[in-house]
Amino acid sequence: MGNTATERINTSTEPLPNSKRMASRLWRWRKHASWFQVTLIVFLTAIGLFMLLPIIFLFNNAFKPLNELFLFPPTIWVKEPTMRNFERLFLHSAAGVVPFTRYLFNSVIVVALTLFSVIMASTMAGYVLAKHRFHFKTLIMSLIMLSLMFAPETVSIPRYIMVSGLGMTNTYFAHVLPFIASPVAVFLMKQFIDQVPDALIEAAKLDGAGDMYIFTRIIIPLIAPAVATISIITFQAVYLDMEGSTLYTQKETMKTLAYYVSSLTANLQNSVAGQSIAAACALLMFIPNLIMFLLFQRKMIQTMLHSGVK
Amino acid sequence: MNTDSGHIVEPGGSMHPAGTLPAGDSNGMDDKQRRRRYRMYRWRDYGVGYLFMLPWIIGFAVLVAFPVGWSLFNSFNKVRITPEGFKFDWVGLDNYKRAFVEDNVYSIQLITYFQEMLLMIPLILIFSFFVSLLLNQKFPGRTVVRAVFFLPVIFATGQVLTELFVQGAGKLPFIEQYNLEGLVRENVGPRIAEPVLAVLSKAVIILWYSGVQILIFIAGFQTIPKTIYEAVRIDGATPWESFWKITLPAMVPFIGLNAVFTIVDLFTFPFNPVMDHVRANMFKPATGYGYASALAWIYFAIIIALLAVVLWITYRAAKGRRAMQ
Repeated sequence: MGNTATERINTSTEPLPNSKRMASRLWRWRKHASWFQVTLIVFLTAIGLFMLLPIIFLFNNAFKPLNELFLFPPTIWVKEPTMRNFERLFLHSAAGVVPFTRYLFNSVIVVALTLFSVIMASTMAGYVLAKHRFHFKTLIMSLIMLSLMFAPETVSIPRYIMVSGLGMTNTYFAHVLPFIASPVAVFLMKQFIDQVPDALIEAAKLDGAGDMYIFTRIIIPLIAPAVATISIITFQAVYLDMEGSTLYTQKETMKTLAYYVSSLTANLQNSVAGQSIAAACALLMFIPNLIMFLLFQRKMIQTMLHSGVK
Repeated sequence: MNTDSGHIVEPGGSMHPAGTLPAGDSNGMDDKQRRRRYRMYRWRDYGVGYLFMLPWIIGFAVLVAFPVGWSLFNSFNKVRITPEGFKFDWVGLDNYKRAFVEDNVYSIQLITYFQEMLLMIPLILIFSFFVSLLLNQKFPGRTVVRAVFFLPVIFATGQVLTELFVQGAGKLPFIEQYNLEGLVRENVGPRIAEPVLAVLSKAVIILWYSGVQILIFIAGFQTIPKTIYEAVRIDGATPWESFWKITLPAMVPFIGLNAVFTIVDLFTFPFNPVMDHVRANMFKPATGYGYASALAWIYFAIIIALLAVVLWITYRAAKGRRAMQ
């Protein structure tokens, strides 16, 4: 890292002012830095690249032509990038009975509804768990901790019984409701609202604010980072969820994009040509997640740092 | 909901709104009144709590608590799916017995998976501790590097991970490419080679599953006051000594927390062979959902036991440290 900085200084003939400032800053830092720091950065960069490897692989895979997809041993970098995979994907999906846009529409509706209701339910619950007195608080907290450990597959049949018993099959509710009682979201919210000083709430009460007022005007603005975090986590879970589509809905018009994509690839898994469509699909499903992460990443790290423990 | 607009602050205290207060001729009467008003206040306070809790509680009860309870009930039954619906025959602990006595896959899978986990958990903890120690240093571009290490937390959940592994991104191509397997086998002998190779093939998972742990450790380092390090340095301690005497003991609770987190994370891992087995048994006519539930509950009980052990060790270690001080 240090070496590249010196090179940049020596070789740059007509540097942009910005890059020049950067370079000189790096240069100055290099003078102060010990060898320990240089090795530290080199080492961390190496591990960091290693961690990014699967994502790089995913991106490259989507642009590989068919013959490269089957290379053995598999390569990371694509040699002759092509858009053929995406073309095939769109041609294939145009042949379906239900149009592609219907799945997309369903996914958007489901994600929006779920995000809204999860944020509402978990902030409300987190607020009273942190700042109010009532019975069974410890019981609720321990239930939250326990349900974190439960693998969702084990309860899929009873869940189906509940959903169909409530008459919610083939509605958007079947997609949304299973997510509302998210233990992670409430836990994070509770930890974060704990940090809001009591004095602030007491002052508001003295000035005559009711609970609803305190909640909407004081708590919600203060916990924006936690809301961002929960949005990412929930978005992730809902956007990629297939349980709602495979178990709780039978009508093709009520299923979501994740289900559609997986059904595309599932049928084609064995066929050679299917591999290219699968590679393109994987990238397309992955990109919204990446965008969400890049948008909210800083807030999320902040939340985790402040509320994860203590 | 403006419940507390008139009488707030001190429950049963002096802030009675004018007009509702009795004339104050008898003290006992006033006291009773006060107590009643206090109870009213408390009830309203609690009521708000329940009201705000309600959406979550309903969701939890209907779609989490009830299904979990139902699966526990199922685990004591033989569940058959008939045209009229589900049929339950009470069999008591029979399902659990069969899991250990008759099933020749489950117990072996359970044991091998646990062996693997017992290797992975310390590795993840050590790796994340080490990396967070490095990330805690000051250097340019620290926020970017932190973000990169946190990135997997977003992707390493369920579906994305499954998709990545299906695509082959979980494997490390260089292990095959440079014939690393043969190299390791030749150099260290077969007995040590087996675990080493197992760890190598899991390298991506170790890296990907230490994102949150790294973050928790970094948060932990921030709770140690800088003044302690300065004081020790003045007393002539080397960085090496201050790490062992100050950093590590102060981090014990965080290591415990991370151990718990890692266990939960790994045991709800999507490619877990035990979960696969449970899922496979769910719709087999010979075994059925009742048996699959029993398998899941055995698994769950073992995780809880493991967590209890970890928490107990952490608690003891933290207590020992407090006693020493």
